[in-house]
Amino acid sequence: MAASPRYSAWALLRARFAGSGYWHPLWSGRRLQEAYDVVIVGAGGHGLATAFHLARDHGVRRVAVLEKRLVGYGNVGRNTTIVRSNYLYPENHYFYEDSLRRWETLSRDLNYNVMYSPRGVVDLAISEDEFPALARRGNAMRLAGIDAELMDLAALERHCPELDTRLPRRFPIAGALVQKRGGTVRHDAVAWGYARAAAALGVDIIEDCEVTGVRASTGVAHGVETTRGYVKADRIVFATAGHTGMVGTMLGVPLPIETHLLQAMVTEPIKPLLHTVLISMFPAHGEVYVLQSDRGGIVMGGHLDGYPSFTREGRWDRMEDVVAAAVDLLPQIAGLRILRQWAGTNDQTMDGCPIIDRVRYDNVFLNAGWCYGGFKAIPASGAACAALVATGTAPDLIAPFKLSRFESGHLLDERGAGPFPVRQ
Amino acid sequence: MTHIVCPFCGPREIGEFEFHKTLPNAGLAPFAAAYLRVDSLTLSREHWQHARGCRGWLEVHRNPSTGAVLSIRLLGTVGP
Repeated sequence: MAASPRYSAWALLRARFAGSGYWHPLWSGRRLQEAYDVVIVGAGGHGLATAFHLARDHGVRRVAVLEKRLVGYGNVGRNTTIVRSNYLYPENHYFYEDSLRRWETLSRDLNYNVMYSPRGVVDLAISEDEFPALARRGNAMRLAGIDAELMDLAALERHCPELDTRLPRRFPIAGALVQKRGGTVRHDAVAWGYARAAAALGVDIIEDCEVTGVRASTGVAHGVETTRGYVKADRIVFATAGHTGMVGTMLGVPLPIETHLLQAMVTEPIKPLLHTVLISMFPAHGEVYVLQSDRGGIVMGGHLDGYPSFTREGRWDRMEDVVAAAVDLLPQIAGLRILRQWAGTNDQTMDGCPIIDRVRYDNVFLNAGWCYGGFKAIPASGAACAALVATGTAPDLIAPFKLSRFESGHLLDERGAGPFPVRQ
Repeated sequence: MTHIVCPFCGPREIGEFEFHKTLPNAGLAPFAAAYLRVDSLTLSREHWQHARGCRGWLEVHRNPSTGAVLSIRLLGTVGP
């Protein structure tokens, strides 16, 4: 089957006259080989991005991405598509800023439109007391050269007229920290774009192939057992966020991770109402982030369901919390109907930050523990994880994300909530 | 998972209960107990509190793949 052509305005024009035979699948079915240089487990955003960077930046020839179900069926297609780098700690904001810069050029890098939309991310202060905390975070970002703008009520009203800040509320809005380069990216397009670009570089993407075990002798892994048979591998990467706890169980290594549910929902489409991403993270008020998708639906998400779960269903009363908080911010949407609701399983680590490191064996790597930050981290995570796998040394950007930090005490506890995954 | 049967109060909506923590399952050494977990698709042992009810502390065993409560018992005095 012919490879997908390079996309351009010229290609579009040519396709117009070439008829229906011009378009091809984004990537075509490959056969599973017996041995690979690198086997990546999980064809989500992080796995596909790692495969892409291994092939493009490090010239690793034989790379396979093994996926239990379908490309992009996990959390890469279940998030609320928000990208931002407004973190307090340097370890986090440098990493996420690297990611945001990559988002800005990703459509060109992949030759695939991922619909990066820098519509701004507005972090609301729901009390005067929250304002200094936002100011501190904004100043930390600006010191690192990241854009951040602290807005009082008047400035917020000018920036976001759809938000009525004067409504009588139990918790009145006091202002906001705004990152204008933040925004949204079409999540499915990210999975498809990386898969297409990786396949074009010779990566084998194998769907419907579940990894069931690792074959190893003292200190070295030799390959993976799969539902399609044994595959030999020099190096193995687990990019299975959402089920990493089960990978730990499979490898016989307890991990600082619990699996929790995070749900999201979308209303019926309406005409343009909300031009930015609104985030309100004040626990007593109900945590919510709300945005309008390009199709017009109001997308909402909130806090975790609150207990370990693999069900991917989501509890009803949490849905009510999220909707109540969203309607409090935007009373205009109160009459809309919820069209769809879904949930994804999160790797929740003990400090709320990810893990990119070796695990148990010298040639087995873990790209996991993404908590809330998985989607927006994809481009930086893929590049850095590929560098770690190819060279054996972690780039400075991800050095703080090592597995040993929990034991050595170098936690990245942005929330300062203690070793309770559910509170991160 | 919509209801939990409190041993003291009977069946109540899940919103009345608060999950507190997963019980140590990777050894009782301090670091392992606080930070490490062995994930299981079929059993999760947890402490909950009937926070908006009798305020009793509960040890709950659940199946995290289905949400089904496998067993539940009232604890003496434990807390955060």
